[in-house]
Amino acid sequence: MKSKIAQLIALSVFLSLLPLFTPPAYLYIIGLGIVFAVIVASWDLIVGYAGQVNLGHTTFVGLGAYTAAILQVPSRIGMNLEIHPILSIILAGTFSAIVALGIGIVILRLKGYYFSLVTAILPLVFMQKVFIWKDIFGGEEGFSIPVEKVAFAATIEKYYFALLFMFLSILFMLYISNSKLGIRFKAIRDSEELSESLGINVTYYKVLAVVISSFFAGMAGAIFVNYRHTVAPDLYDVPLMLLIILSAVIGGLGSLIGPLLMGLVIYLAKNWWLTFLKFGILNEEVILYAILITIAILMPEGVYGRRIFLKQIIKKLQN
Amino acid sequence: MIEIIELLLFGTAIGGIFALIASGFSLIFGVSRILNFAHGVCFAVSAYSAIFLIKEFSLDVYLASLIGIAIAVLLGLAVYAITKPVRANAVMVIIVTLAFALLVEQVILTSFGNRGMSLTPFVEGVQVIYENLRMAKMRLIAIPVAIALLLALDLFINKSMAGKRIQAVSQDLEASMLIGINVEWIFIITIAISSALAGFAGILYSQIFNIYPAMILRVLIYAFAIVILGGLGSIRGSILASFIVGYVFVATMKTLGTHWSEFVMLIVIVGILIAKPTGLFGVRE
Repeated sequence: MKSKIAQLIALSVFLSLLPLFTPPAYLYIIGLGIVFAVIVASWDLIVGYAGQVNLGHTTFVGLGAYTAAILQVPSRIGMNLEIHPILSIILAGTFSAIVALGIGIVILRLKGYYFSLVTAILPLVFMQKVFIWKDIFGGEEGFSIPVEKVAFAATIEKYYFALLFMFLSILFMLYISNSKLGIRFKAIRDSEELSESLGINVTYYKVLAVVISSFFAGMAGAIFVNYRHTVAPDLYDVPLMLLIILSAVIGGLGSLIGPLLMGLVIYLAKNWWLTFLKFGILNEEVILYAILITIAILMPEGVYGRRIFLKQIIKKLQN
Repeated sequence: MIEIIELLLFGTAIGGIFALIASGFSLIFGVSRILNFAHGVCFAVSAYSAIFLIKEFSLDVYLASLIGIAIAVLLGLAVYAITKPVRANAVMVIIVTLAFALLVEQVILTSFGNRGMSLTPFVEGVQVIYENLRMAKMRLIAIPVAIALLLALDLFINKSMAGKRIQAVSQDLEASMLIGINVEWIFIITIAISSALAGFAGILYSQIFNIYPAMILRVLIYAFAIVILGGLGSIRGSILASFIVGYVFVATMKTLGTHWSEFVMLIVIVGILIAKPTGLFGVRE
């Protein structure tokens, strides 16, 4: 626990020094990567700790994003509200958590593969609202939020806000993972029957895990919107979900810091380092997916398990 | 009255197509415990290949469909190959198949564009069944074709030696190995058959509706709904559930519009899960 907090502080200090020698254009992408990394860590909380393979985490990212966007541009639903952006971000997280509570109560009765299948459908279903009520949600293109209505306008302010958000949420997640609550989550992950026989109310804690992780996912979605000034259905979509799963698994499920780091790395790889690659119909996304499949095939044991990926590489090198 | 007959006929056609997809998905899971998120790839690629072959080489629609299905089988084998090293880990299988599906979606998107496309139907024109009751001939033909294929699948699984081996493997992998069944061959046969069925479903679907790249993932919504209703690994359960989903799909489309079909599907799933958490037709893990 203490070493993880130390790692978090080290990472935060390093990231807070970056603006000194990084141009704003790159800083903008790194800030988005930080927010994405929080989403990955929040997914780790439900999967790596509570052991529920939730494939629909982007449902709550998207819900948070659209909630914040609507609250900040209330004219789209014909209302006249004045809500401070920070408050709308918190409300977005709360709304995601409430929806997660409702969904969780129903679908957490399912086990194993059935749970994964139902959650996999969720984002695709929730995404449809964007196309059904095109006038409100803006359809395929989404809609933009005027500059005067977002939380911060300057890149450097946004960057530090993202960093602060990361620091506080990861600190809170680390605290939870090490508290009695976290221990119960882990007990459920390791054996539901045994936990039940010990008097742990399994369904209650599973729902709680989904609610907590969705709260952070919703806030992260809202911050994404405030960062980019636009909201679009890509925040619901499957490619984002794949990136989340991948970062968490490669980073090492159940460690929070591993998924956080790997989330940042993979986001930057996709949106920065790989963007110059393009050969005919092979655009950067095709190449990214091809690389990911190759990594997965070549190192199935390297990315599996609850140990941190890097440690295993070091071990392999030593042998 | 006419509306109801139309709904039943159309629903049966769509249900048959869904059944071709879902039974394959269920079969693969039953035998190898792989959740194949790339199953929609076979569905979409066979249709796109046939469209491409007809447009570029002006092939006959039957020959083009046949080649399309063959390509679907090849892609199915590719999925087998890439999941082989990670099969023991369910999350890795999901990552690999999902990445493969998104990769193929991107390739189709960049080469064909985002516009909906449709395949030349086997039979064109509209059939007048009774005064005002008219339906596109292709929609009517899809019904016997799909049902014949499903019956053939059922016969193959239950009567043939290979089918019995498939059943044995899905019941107990280790025991099947012990009595000398070549499990890897069974995996390959299963995935090839399932991909061919999905490929055929894609051919039929694209002759009735437009097909577009996002179908690769959207078709999974229906496959999952069917599998949850029918029970994972159970072929007959899947086939029955497919027709239920088909009728719900068509009824939603006619009353509320296509965009609502996913919402209604989710409500149906949730409703059934509240009533019966293990799906309609029982479950074996």
